[in-house]
Amino acid sequence: MTAADLERHNADILIVGAGGAGLFAALHACRAAPELSVTIAVKGLLGKSGCTRMVQGGYNVALGPGDSVERHFMDTIAGGKWLPHQDMAWRLCETAPVRVRELENEIGCFFDRNPDGTLHQKAFAGQSFDRTVHKGDLTGIEIVNRLMEQVLARPVERLEEHRALALVPDRSGEALAGVLFADMRSGAFRFVRARAVLLATGGGPTMYRYHTPSGDKSMDGLAMALRRGLPLRDMEMVQFHPTGLLAGPDTRMTGTVLEEGLRGAGGHLLDGDGRRFMFDHDEAGERATRDIVSRAIFEEMRKGRTTPNGGVYISMSHLGPETVRDRFGGMVRRCADSGFDLAAGRVEVVPTAHYFMGGLVCDPETRTDLPGLYVAGEDAGGAHGANRLGGNGVANSTVFGGISGDTMAKDLAGPGAPFRNPDEDLLAAEIARALHPFGRAGSGGRGGDVHALRRRLMDLMWHDAGVVRTAGGLGRAVAQLGDLKAELLETGLADPGRVFNLTWHDWLNLRSLIEVSQAIAAAALARESSCGAHYREDCPDEGDPAAASFTVIRRDGGSLDVSRAPVNFSIVQPGESLLGEDHATLAAV
Amino acid sequence: MTQDADTLTVEVWRGDARGGGYVAYDVPRRESQTVLDVVTWIQQNAEPALAYRFACRVGMCGSCAMTVNGAPRWTCRTHVRRVAKAGRLRIAPLRNLPVIRDLAADLAPFFNKWTAAGGTFAPTATRDDPPAEISPETPQRAAADAGIECINCAVCYAACDTVAMVPDYLGPAALNRAWTLVNDARDGGQAERIAAVSGGNGCANCHSHQSCAELCPNGLSPTAAIAGLKRAAGRAWLRGGA
Repeated sequence: MTAADLERHNADILIVGAGGAGLFAALHACRAAPELSVTIAVKGLLGKSGCTRMVQGGYNVALGPGDSVERHFMDTIAGGKWLPHQDMAWRLCETAPVRVRELENEIGCFFDRNPDGTLHQKAFAGQSFDRTVHKGDLTGIEIVNRLMEQVLARPVERLEEHRALALVPDRSGEALAGVLFADMRSGAFRFVRARAVLLATGGGPTMYRYHTPSGDKSMDGLAMALRRGLPLRDMEMVQFHPTGLLAGPDTRMTGTVLEEGLRGAGGHLLDGDGRRFMFDHDEAGERATRDIVSRAIFEEMRKGRTTPNGGVYISMSHLGPETVRDRFGGMVRRCADSGFDLAAGRVEVVPTAHYFMGGLVCDPETRTDLPGLYVAGEDAGGAHGANRLGGNGVANSTVFGGISGDTMAKDLAGPGAPFRNPDEDLLAAEIARALHPFGRAGSGGRGGDVHALRRRLMDLMWHDAGVVRTAGGLGRAVAQLGDLKAELLETGLADPGRVFNLTWHDWLNLRSLIEVSQAIAAAALARESSCGAHYREDCPDEGDPAAASFTVIRRDGGSLDVSRAPVNFSIVQPGESLLGEDHATLAAV
Repeated sequence: MTQDADTLTVEVWRGDARGGGYVAYDVPRRESQTVLDVVTWIQQNAEPALAYRFACRVGMCGSCAMTVNGAPRWTCRTHVRRVAKAGRLRIAPLRNLPVIRDLAADLAPFFNKWTAAGGTFAPTATRDDPPAEISPETPQRAAADAGIECINCAVCYAACDTVAMVPDYLGPAALNRAWTLVNDARDGGQAERIAAVSGGNGCANCHSHQSCAELCPNGLSPTAAIAGLKRAAGRAWLRGGA
């Protein structure tokens, strides 16, 4: 296999990923510049992969009387511990109302209504106003199904089950030429040359033993960006959800989310002996914020006060099983399908890696440092800072996906956005890199155990770079990640075919995850303070928000270079508020 | 045949568009174990070349449907206890769709029909307008809501005997989506949609066998939706003929 055997084609605009960001970008690009050809490539099926679809809670948007973009913005900044890119956060909050009206009126979503027919907006953690628009507790399915239908009905070329392998620049290395893919169904390699490329593969921290994102997620987007030497920010910021289902070994159910509302409604967390423990940690008990509850559970687990599978219990039955069934029907059914009785019994839970705040450095128009490359959704860093508010994730992907479609169309209308020819040597090297595990099968054609390596990675990150971190643990993680990478490169595949070869893709997933894990560990080691989702047991001080800086990490040859950049308080200074005194107090809490 | 209580005997269809057959694997039983977990165990421990598809693993994406002991199921939410017969499972790709490889079916025909049945919202307002004020209690909205939580997993499509006999039939999922849009007061594409579902491949093909409703993992009833479409198509025909 050489570059000469590649299937090649061109698209004016190439979108990599088909979650909320990718689908919105396609629709906006088609509308802004119908004469341009648009191709959307996705690792799974269009509309079915990615995490927007898995959104349960809803969509934060300042629509109601008494709410304002300023208030939503201040909540986002305070929640993000003053680390967000303020212009991006502003853009997020300012555009969300437009995007929700677009979803309702043009895309066809129908969100829950009040009895009078107006949109229902519910309370959600960390916000000073009830502003979360939702569709029951399955908001993401409604959004992505409707977006998918609109994209299917347009002349957008679809490359489904296409795995992105590399961002390929032109010979100068100064601008992007296109993206190399593996067609997972045929095993063929395909290079799509494009004048503009949107990276919207989604984050998804699935390198942790317990994680919530979709199984196709392996942070390929950030791994590709890192390999091209692009700057990534806030890579230490991994959000854990406190209550993931713990169902034992060898089941993909483990790690999936049991919703936040269970604690809000009065659910109890119990240790292995059935004792409530949250009040030992925080006066808000089970209703404390996600990070506090996650750390408290982690602490109980470290002390060994655990359930049979090594977690804690969530118990709802004191509220009355019928009440629980009425209020949380979806969750009760999901648990029942998995063999657990949430309404009347106890269900084992564990903190679970949920969302990645870090990502590629970009501007509020989604442009990156590399001409031709744009980024939106969970691959983009900056909007959430050190913590993401529930309900701001789907707002982020849909707002910036749409902006990106508009921006790419606008940039392609001007000069300076030609088709560029790829660096053919680099293209050939990337193909060889993807083929690395073939032909390395051991004696008797047996492949190595990719899955055992994946479990080791997930255990390592869970223990040493997870909910609670120390310099010692992070140093160990950095060292062992290097060992894991070396072992992976020695691990071959038993099946020599490339057609729908999942184990090959498991191998490639693991390489992406290890490379991004190295960046997480390095950034976490560099941040010697605690802030939002990043908790250093050995440096618990939060530091002065006025001196806040964010980490920027780049790959330079074989090593990772971590630097710090000061936050630009372009809209509001720490201690101040756009809302006057009342909100300044709330934001400081 | 005696069966070790700690082991499942799992026959998995292996092959591609040219043909194939069942291969048996022994899989250790676990207390918490879905059919997707069984398939995953085989790929990770016994047959690294096994092809299948999944994504969300919690019943939201509808990627992992397969035929399990003869019936289509969402495998990520189907506990082994519910479907294993005497410690045995037989797993195959969804029927009524082309096979790519092993347990992975090609869903392109399913989604093409979704679009062909008018399953795309046709807007009458823009992002500059406020969201329409529609009470959830109106009968029309209630009819739309009854079918809206479809995850397009294609279980109903694979269950449908009419699709098996009439391959161009639009099928239960696409028609169910069309019915939710017929009941969407905001939609401006009704005439085209009714024409699309009234054609030779449309709702008149349904014989109300109800397999779709029996097997829908979310408890929807495409049969009821299709009955609604038949009435709507009849009314449109009468108006057109008047």
